Amino acid sequence: MTDLRQTPAIPTGRSRRPRGRPLLYTSYAQDMALLDTPAKRVWTLVLIVLAFLLSAVLQDRSLEVLAGAYALAIGAIGLNLVAGYAGQISLGHAFFVAIGAYTAAALSGPPDGRNLGFGLAEIWIWLPAAGLVAAAAGVLVAPLAARLRGLYLAVVTLGLVFLGEHVFKEWDHLTGGPGVGRQAAVPELFGTRLDQDGLLGTREQSLYLVMLVLLIVFALAARNLARSRVGRAFAAIRDRDIAAEVIGVPLTRYKVLAFGASSFYAGIAGGLLYTITGFVEPGSFSLLLSVQFIAMVLIGGVATVSGSIMGALFIVLIQPLTRSLPALVPVISSDTTATPNVFQVETVLYGLLIILFLVFEPRGLYGIWIRVRTYWKSWPFSY
Amino acid sequence: MKSRALIGYLAIAGLLAGCGVFRGGEEGGGTTGGSAAPAAPGVTKEPCPMAVDKAKGCIYLGTISDLTQGPFAALAVPITEAQKAFWARVNKAGGIGGKYEVDVQAYVRDNKYNPETHRQVYNEIKDKVLGLAQTLGSPTTAAIIDDLKASSIVSAPASWTSAWEFEDVIIETGSNYCVESMNAVDYAMEVYKPKSIMAVHLAGDYGADAAAGAKVAAEKNGVAFTAIETPPGATEQGRAITEIVKNKPDVVIITTGPADAAAVIGQAAAAGFKGRFIGTGPTWNPALLKSPAAPAIKALYEQSSPGKPFGADTAGHKAMREALPGVSPNDGYTSGWAWSYPMKAALEKMVAGGDVSRKGLLAAVKSLATVDYEGMLPPEAGNFAGDANAATFRQTLINKVDEGAPTGVSIVKDFFTGPTAQGYTMDGPCFQKL
Amino acid sequence: MTGFIESVLRGLGNGSVYALLALGFVIIYKATKVISFAQPSLMLAGAVAVSYLAELTGFYLAVPLAALLIAGLALGIERVAIRPMVGRPVFVVAIITLGIDVVVRVVVNGFIGRDVRQMGDPWGFEQVSLGPLVVQERWLAMLGVTAVLVALLFAFFRFTRYGLAMRAAAYDQETALAQGVSVGAVFALSWGLAGFLAAIAGMFVGTGQGVEQLTWIIALKALPAIILGGLDSLGGAVVGGLTIGVVESLFQSYQGDVAPWLGQNFAVVSPYVVMLLVLLVRPYGLFGTREVERV
Repeated sequence: MTDLRQTPAIPTGRSRRPRGRPLLYTSYAQDMALLDTPAKRVWTLVLIVLAFLLSAVLQDRSLEVLAGAYALAIGAIGLNLVAGYAGQISLGHAFFVAIGAYTAAALSGPPDGRNLGFGLAEIWIWLPAAGLVAAAAGVLVAPLAARLRGLYLAVVTLGLVFLGEHVFKEWDHLTGGPGVGRQAAVPELFGTRLDQDGLLGTREQSLYLVMLVLLIVFALAARNLARSRVGRAFAAIRDRDIAAEVIGVPLTRYKVLAFGASSFYAGIAGGLLYTITGFVEPGSFSLLLSVQFIAMVLIGGVATVSGSIMGALFIVLIQPLTRSLPALVPVISSDTTATPNVFQVETVLYGLLIILFLVFEPRGLYGIWIRVRTYWKSWPFSY
Repeated sequence: MKSRALIGYLAIAGLLAGCGVFRGGEEGGGTTGGSAAPAAPGVTKEPCPMAVDKAKGCIYLGTISDLTQGPFAALAVPITEAQKAFWARVNKAGGIGGKYEVDVQAYVRDNKYNPETHRQVYNEIKDKVLGLAQTLGSPTTAAIIDDLKASSIVSAPASWTSAWEFEDVIIETGSNYCVESMNAVDYAMEVYKPKSIMAVHLAGDYGADAAAGAKVAAEKNGVAFTAIETPPGATEQGRAITEIVKNKPDVVIITTGPADAAAVIGQAAAAGFKGRFIGTGPTWNPALLKSPAAPAIKALYEQSSPGKPFGADTAGHKAMREALPGVSPNDGYTSGWAWSYPMKAALEKMVAGGDVSRKGLLAAVKSLATVDYEGMLPPEAGNFAGDANAATFRQTLINKVDEGAPTGVSIVKDFFTGPTAQGYTMDGPCFQKL
Repeated sequence: MTGFIESVLRGLGNGSVYALLALGFVIIYKATKVISFAQPSLMLAGAVAVSYLAELTGFYLAVPLAALLIAGLALGIERVAIRPMVGRPVFVVAIITLGIDVVVRVVVNGFIGRDVRQMGDPWGFEQVSLGPLVVQERWLAMLGVTAVLVALLFAFFRFTRYGLAMRAAAYDQETALAQGVSVGAVFALSWGLAGFLAAIAGMFVGTGQGVEQLTWIIALKALPAIILGGLDSLGGAVVGGLTIGVVESLFQSYQGDVAPWLGQNFAVVSPYVVMLLVLLVRPYGLFGTREVERV
């Protein structure tokens, strides 16, 4: 972890904090640190080590599900940058994810195949490219988006998803067309396929590790962005955009920046996500995907990086959960012709869980964490 | 506090281990075999959960279908239901080779017509099944096809796209959409002698596959051909209707959903269109006869089909109707039932050959030259032995609207192969050629 | 030229359905500041309710009954899932309405089953001649019924106590509360009205070809309509809906000849293109209230 205590930015004398006072900051650098309390540092490290250990412990199919969740988490962090930190709710995230997915797929695809391909399978080429092309699209859209606010912005970005879906369905040289699809990006690092059994273990193990490493990198980068000048400008725009402009934050420039950064993350997520199934179909990039990202951000916690990751894990993991829950209740028939049957209950549960969660905990998983922390901090007094 | 947390973690770890989340435990064997060593994934010496004869072992087949909110739920539910009834009948009749019964109910999953979900549920059940009795949808199956091939898991697809002719592990039944519309055009040439043909179709593996077949046949017959791609949704058909009324083709090959077809046919006819419509694939639904488009449909419409309708008079159809008492007739049942015969034949051959495993099943499939469909389809429809071109089944039939029949259609021309399909070389999925 | 006018009339017919849906969105938005993504499921439920009731009571009685039924359903949803969320961030509520949409649709799909359900409407695909024009009766019915409903709705807002209460609450919730307006009742009423309108729209969508499980997607056409007209303008919703319908219909008729390079079926996304173009010029839609910006 980067520790900025040594940086001589603003000298304020003794920079060690007294034991047992985690929230007492004695220097500016301490206040601004990436992980500002010792407890955070320790637990982040423990969690990362645990996450790596999981690759040796869990079954392949669970690893594959988690790898997908990590890729989605990168996308959710991206949406949180624009929607949570900068307050510009975008329903167009699926569009940028699609751009990333197809950039990556086209770059790494075989040049003589049925679909557009350039044969550049190295992940360090196509992954940044996926992010950059998506970011470019984000920057193109941003000037229009910067004029709009709130629900207008949400519905306009929703329009992007529909337009994108149309383009991707029609452009079948790139996408294969609806229902047909094409091969997704192939992750290859210096000639080694990362989506095959190899040095890192089975196919699922290596994919899991790739996603985990990239998630850590992008999560840290996002947290770093959020605590910087840019992050503060985002927060100022979110809280009161006109006030922000008055105190000297150039609105348009920072909104464009927010859209660009968010789309970059979306592009990266798109490039990675479909390497797991190895197949990408234009029908995937619908309103539903955008909504899933919004749900991840809201359920995880707005304007928190850790919340986005938790939200992505929540949304992905409740699917297997809702699949196994109805089976425990013997009353519900597994007969597909009966109503209600397990499959209907499963679908309804998915919707209900999201509703109930937001009704009872509108601040998201992060809100639960804050409550638990406050409880123990003031223990044995309840408040 | 510490000890309570520790107990909590242990409980969670125990729960996860119980669910089989951890590595090691289940790998290799892969079945819930218990004491007796399992012979292969998805095969047990224990009887099936709902066994007729407790002395027999059990073969588990998985089903991944679109059961709630996807676009094909209305078809997928009867398909799944019919397969259940099919295997129940097989079990009652003595099972497979007198040694095994087949269970298709323990591992049924909903894919919501989403490739990622499809792959997830496939991973959940793949170690517990010998093969897949149904994998619904082309994009969804494409998301698992590599794994199916790598693990030699034989699967019956629930779609008739021409791409499946090129996969060994996929055992499709009946002609694909492409061949079907070639035959539909040849039939139209014979009966109506049209000078122009238009294909109105959805995009992708279903609609474009059919339109490509129609195009090939129209070119072969030397008639003018136009293809109009139309989006799904009954209120979106304005363009298709406009094009039909404007260009006045003699025959329209229509490949859409039922409500879309009703909108197109009803409104085109109302606007004075007098040409013929031939619907291919699952365009038909008996409820169309209750719609306001019914007079137009009765006057102008015929339905091409890869198999005989629900009410047909064959041993297979009769057995199906007996096994599904009281259902409202729907050709989803017919398809689900007919699709199960090749799997049954392959399983029987595998058990007779002695190698009860995925490899054994795949070998059995590759040696199948005919399948007994009990008259539902000609035996040669079940040819999986040769290369794609030789094994492609090329017979379809034409139904006419018949209000008296259970599904609203009855056969007007029995199984036939048109000259176009006869001479066509299957060298790649059709939809790539439109 | 007759082709052009017929195409416009078809657009006005479909557009009036979009207008009804858009009105529902706008009424809920004005009262609660939330876009309710549950409208598609309410529309589908309305169509299915009509199809069942028409078998019992005949079509003309079935429509108001079904509309009241769906209004009741909407009231229930509002009471259970939306009222507890008063004062919570609007996007949280919007996502909750999406969850409601999924739940209601799964239940309604159970009632639709395998077949295409018919409305039992008297129009079908029948056509009438208006001079040189040949028009489907149902488009005229859509247009006529929508005109009547819109007139009633505007009269309701203008001349009744509850209409006044709704306008007051939309203008300033706290002041309205202070004047003794029950804002809770206003929320409920707005959902009920939206449900009523959605059910009528669903019935019209189902005329002719019937209703199947995928029909719900049509309700999303109302989204560009409300943005085009301005999120908080009832008149804007009507104008937006009709515009979207006409634009779409014209694209369906002429885009293939005039601009084939846009790809087949550009009509599907044409509403969104129109919406984007309008927003470039007017960021709050055609009739939306400009937000007064104060620091």
